Amino acid sequence: MSQSDSTPFGDRLKPALERLFAAVGSLWLRYEKGLADRYETLRGAQLTGEERRVLAVVGISLAAVVALLALNPVDAVVPLPVPSLTVPFVVSTLAIAGMYLLLTLGLNVQWGYAGLVNFSVIAFWGIGAYSGALLAGSGSPHELELHPLYGLGLAVVLSVVLAVAIGLPTLRLRADYLAIATLGFSEIIRIIILNEEWLTDGGLGVGGIPTLLSTWPFSLTEPVMAALANLTGAQPRTVFDLFLVMAVVLAVFLVLRRTQLSPWGRVLRTIRADEDIAQALGKNSYWYKMQAFVLGSVIMAIAGWYYAHHVRFMTPGELEPIETFYIWVAVILGGSGSNRGAIIGGFTVVIILQGTRLLNETVDWILFFVTVDASALRLLLVGLLVIVVVRLRPEGILPPQREHIWPGALSERDGGEDK
Amino acid sequence: MSTVGSGDESYDYDGGDLSKPNQLLRVEELRKEFGALAAVDDVSVAVEEGTITGLIGPNGAGKSTLFKLISGFYEPDGGTVTLDGSEITGLSPDAIARKGLLRTFQTPRKLEGMTVRENMLIGAQHQAGESVLPLWLSPDSVLADERRTLERAGELLELFELDHLATEPAADLSGGQFKLLELARAMMAEPDIMLLDEPVAGVNPALAEDLAERIAMLNEERGMTLLIIEHDIDFIMNLADPIIVLDQGKVLVEGEPDRVRADPRVMEAYLGGEG
Repeated sequence: MSQSDSTPFGDRLKPALERLFAAVGSLWLRYEKGLADRYETLRGAQLTGEERRVLAVVGISLAAVVALLALNPVDAVVPLPVPSLTVPFVVSTLAIAGMYLLLTLGLNVQWGYAGLVNFSVIAFWGIGAYSGALLAGSGSPHELELHPLYGLGLAVVLSVVLAVAIGLPTLRLRADYLAIATLGFSEIIRIIILNEEWLTDGGLGVGGIPTLLSTWPFSLTEPVMAALANLTGAQPRTVFDLFLVMAVVLAVFLVLRRTQLSPWGRVLRTIRADEDIAQALGKNSYWYKMQAFVLGSVIMAIAGWYYAHHVRFMTPGELEPIETFYIWVAVILGGSGSNRGAIIGGFTVVIILQGTRLLNETVDWILFFVTVDASALRLLLVGLLVIVVVRLRPEGILPPQREHIWPGALSERDGGEDK
Repeated sequence: MSTVGSGDESYDYDGGDLSKPNQLLRVEELRKEFGALAAVDDVSVAVEEGTITGLIGPNGAGKSTLFKLISGFYEPDGGTVTLDGSEITGLSPDAIARKGLLRTFQTPRKLEGMTVRENMLIGAQHQAGESVLPLWLSPDSVLADERRTLERAGELLELFELDHLATEPAADLSGGQFKLLELARAMMAEPDIMLLDEPVAGVNPALAEDLAERIAMLNEERGMTLLIIEHDIDFIMNLADPIIVLDQGKVLVEGEPDRVRADPRVMEAYLGGEG
């Protein structure tokens, strides 16, 4: 800033902004070039036009939310159309969104990779949630109050066992049978949890589930979380949950990405497209489908375990089948088979489900003379969104678009044959 | 061997030749019934190693059913299938494929969203990356396998003159190109024997010629053994020797193309089958 002090503010701002844009631009270009180098020989190495457009929409939405947040202090004199859109609200919504993302990623392994129709997403989620609640909750009929990690272990083991139990008889049959079996399984789990009071306290629910932040080793981060909580106005445990769930989402995403680009993922894609071909080429499709089914179910159970410790109270009412279909909508919206699509679809559904109370306020703000309950429209909105997406983008918002070849195998081969 | 009267015509069924040497594939008394109909009625045939054996017959003769029985897609009601001396009867299709018997399908089955190259990679067997754990425990061997496989895919695509299409979506290929791709993909598995179900169905004559050349080349240069179902009589007569004629679930006659062509029963079977 070597300009003299007499230049107007705008004149000084302009070069600064230009420099900023240039810096961001060159960073972005370098990032893209890095990507392009890595996928040098792949068709559509750079982001496709579609991906750019999706990225732009996501960016604009993010910017809008940030702007609203900035303009929306708790003590605003003139209320904006969305007074509830505050930082604490966003933090807690994102903490829930993380759980939805895990569910969509899990279903994407089953439906998106392998073409398995699983209608018991919420049951595996519930198994995870009740594993956490019953082992760790002080309100659990078993009064164990174990460390939350025991619940996580139980969630994983139970989901594996039950997924195998469902898969054994149905994965050999046509896809329809798995759909029917899982639909039934989902209701069975819900009704067992509702009625077996000795096991789950039935409809009373299980309370007193400890927050994760209150247990070692997570409690070590307490000072940091408290500071961040001060800064944002959210609760420390919510801030911690947000970090934790996003870390888990990232880890799951990276794991799934690697499996997707591997020969394993390729076999699953083949099975999804045409199981006979996979078998004719020597692939044991039954075994591969089983792996995908179990992997997806475990991810769903982990999401449930996290949720139980996040809301700290579980009732069987949370296991309504409609939740399963929200996850289906998310995966289909995002683009079946694409992990990035599952993330975007998951966010979209969360925004609709959680954002409807904001909509209420906005509608009240505009139509202050009538009382409308816009949140009752959420199902309608989900339906409309599905229709719009299916009409405009039948393969979802971000369907898989690249070849799935193990990273590094291509470019180096073309670079020099000998290793 | 047996005499069957169907309507007003009746003729002898010779049965397949089980006396030939070096039998890579041997089918004995194989049987499949759908209700009261025996689609494959105690068929015994053998395929000699290094030959191209043709399998012809009128519609409904049981050719495709026989293929499905051999390749494990149907469970036989009786009889045995032996591949290179070991019995494979009743094994699952993937187990049979891993033992070295690969089949292609009559109708082109395109794998949605996959490129030509990806199609090729699926054909490869015993890849380290086909299990989940090695992806983290031994990524180097996954990478090495993948490179080798890609290289082999490149060579085969060149051989089949599809290399310029390697990164195209397989769904964009023409019918004939797709048949070539199916062949090349099956070759990726390094099979001992290939069963081709109507390789030139719906392919224009020029490409059919091309396909015939590739198949002959696989046979001559790579010693590939092939069993081919084909409706295009000229195509198969020029390519295969011996020819096995199936009719009403039984082997009518087996022999050199000229002998089969001259056999009045074959003509009768075709005409009778239509009427």
